[in-house]
Amino acid sequence: MNDPPRKPPVLDCAHLVRHFGDRAAVDDVSLSIAPGETYGLLGPNGAGKTTTIRMVCGLLRPDAGTVHVAGAPMGVSAGPAKRLIGFVPQDVALYPDLSVRENLRFFGRLYRLPRRRLERRVDEVLDLVDLTARAGDRVDSLSGGMRRRLNIGAGLVHSPTLLVLDEPTVGVDPQSRHAILESVTRFGEEGMAVLYTTHYMEEAERVCDRVGIIDRGRLVAEGSPRELVALVAERDRVRLAAVGDLAAYAEACRLLPRVEGAGRTGDHGEVVELVVKDARSLLPDLLDLAHEQDVDIRSVEIDEPDLEAVFLHLTGTALRE
Amino acid sequence: MRVVLAIAAKDLRQRLRDRSAWVIVFLAPVLISALMALAFNNNEDFRANVGVVDLDRGPAATGLGQVLRSPELRGTVHVRSYDAESAARRAVDAGDVHVAVVVPAGFTEALHGGGAAPVKVLDSVDYGLQAQLARAVTESYVAQVNADRLSVATAVAAGAERADVPRLAAEAALLRLPEQVRAQGLPDDPLKVISYFGPSMGMFFVLFTVGFGARGYFIEQRQGTLDRIAAAPVGRGALLLGKSVSTFVYSLAGLVTVTLVSWLAFDARWADPVGVAALSVAMAVCVVCLTALVIALVRTEQQAQGLAQILVFALVLLGGNFVFASGTTPLIRRLALFTPNGWALRGFTDLGTGVRGWDAVGAPLLGIAAFSAAVAVVTVLLLRLRRTT
Repeated sequence: MNDPPRKPPVLDCAHLVRHFGDRAAVDDVSLSIAPGETYGLLGPNGAGKTTTIRMVCGLLRPDAGTVHVAGAPMGVSAGPAKRLIGFVPQDVALYPDLSVRENLRFFGRLYRLPRRRLERRVDEVLDLVDLTARAGDRVDSLSGGMRRRLNIGAGLVHSPTLLVLDEPTVGVDPQSRHAILESVTRFGEEGMAVLYTTHYMEEAERVCDRVGIIDRGRLVAEGSPRELVALVAERDRVRLAAVGDLAAYAEACRLLPRVEGAGRTGDHGEVVELVVKDARSLLPDLLDLAHEQDVDIRSVEIDEPDLEAVFLHLTGTALRE
Repeated sequence: MRVVLAIAAKDLRQRLRDRSAWVIVFLAPVLISALMALAFNNNEDFRANVGVVDLDRGPAATGLGQVLRSPELRGTVHVRSYDAESAARRAVDAGDVHVAVVVPAGFTEALHGGGAAPVKVLDSVDYGLQAQLARAVTESYVAQVNADRLSVATAVAAGAERADVPRLAAEAALLRLPEQVRAQGLPDDPLKVISYFGPSMGMFFVLFTVGFGARGYFIEQRQGTLDRIAAAPVGRGALLLGKSVSTFVYSLAGLVTVTLVSWLAFDARWADPVGVAALSVAMAVCVVCLTALVIALVRTEQQAQGLAQILVFALVLLGGNFVFASGTTPLIRRLALFTPNGWALRGFTDLGTGVRGWDAVGAPLLGIAAFSAAVAVVTVLLLRLRRTT
């Protein structure tokens, strides 16, 4: 029996390279996204996510490699490819002195939507981002969460085939964050391809069909969250809440045998997280090391591995370091 | 084209929602030009009150007095006589007259004998233009008398009878020096203060839009909307054109508002409305070019604001927006020819004094076009250099 024909990818990036001076911000990154697929580009700040996205959207010319959107080549002045992309930048990129409706209308006009269709789409998007009641208000009178939602809405007015979201939940309250993640899930279900960058593991696990882990400009792993976690299936994830010089402690932990990655996490870096083989037999060594380094261990958790553990395993450091 | 118009309309909408933009481009120039008109005798025509001290009492001195009282200067020059130089000096200091002309004793004799008895002009720092006028009339008169003398002497040397000298002198006096023939471009009407300062202040404040436009570009860059536009299928040319159109419309609206208000409310007069429109359009185009230059030269909104302010003040100081060009030094008058506003003011001055059409605005339009073209070329080179580096 023949396999069903694979749909051509909506986004196809091949061997993207971009340098800033001597530093390679993106180094040989290749990825593709199928229609209806949500692809998460996961990595710490400075890993190369935004640079990759800027090349995908035609805002930055790659030093090498190509980007195709539904078969159309992307470039700085590539109309057909750009027409298919909805770009949602990391920071709220709206005109604060224009109203919600005026902002949506303006960004829709850039895509040459006919007047009637534009008005209809503006109404639909207002409904989608739950801002119909505030349509006539100036953007600078909206709350932060509303602005975030409108920021996404402005990328949707022209009904893009590929939605590119650059860390859309940074600095967002939990309620708005939940709403944004719900929307992204819905976009995928409705057949839109989504490229979603984040440094939040739980977001990637929740909304993405496939995740690419990027570190220091290189795509170090790619697969569904389940496939990636399987990479560290034989490992344990150890979380030590502690007080002391945790950076030095994590560094020392990395030198222990059976420790495959260690780094600081938590809101204030108060947790040392490790990916280890056979946590129970290693635990005495970890506690001895803490004692030697004057690190006061407050609690110990041993968990199943997750994407954070995958990242630790693949890069040797924590995602938020 | 729809995208260009969308960008231009959005920019204009934003500017019109900014109250400071209304004040700077529409309200301030009208108010300041009105204040200047009030300060200069409430928009009356130019007037020179000239005191005359005749210490000579001879025919040459009387002739000078007659020239100052001639029909051609009536309405502009008002003569008052004084017996002594000290009295005239006091009158000038007190502001009773703007300037005084002292004809020394022996003036007539010196003229006829070819000697030196120079006329003294007592002026005031407050009335430089009037002093210049008095000096010009006096010099012109002396030149005329000298020319008469020369022509009579030439006739005698050529064999004319001595008895005919009075007749020859009278005939020579009827001839005018070539310099006194009205040259093309010289005023038919006196220039009204508001006719000069209306457009002058309009241009001064419209030049501030260079800072607005450049700052706006960098604000858009900072807030990410420029990236958002660039991610859409909008060519770089359409983006630049859209932004240029909004700057052009805004600048032109500012200039047109000031000239209309100056005309309707303060009775400013220009001989040729088409000329006024042409100069306004040329200046608006120039503002677009200057805005692009500032954007090409700097990297941040603060730098844009700073550079634009330096540029604006340099241009208005050199171009003569605060003083009549005739009241400045020859060097400044020459430097004004390197500024678009200096050229535009020359055009408005000519239009305000009755000169029409190409005679009034031809050279100014070419001057502004040359300046704008030079700025555009430098801008393109800078942008290319920036892209390659």
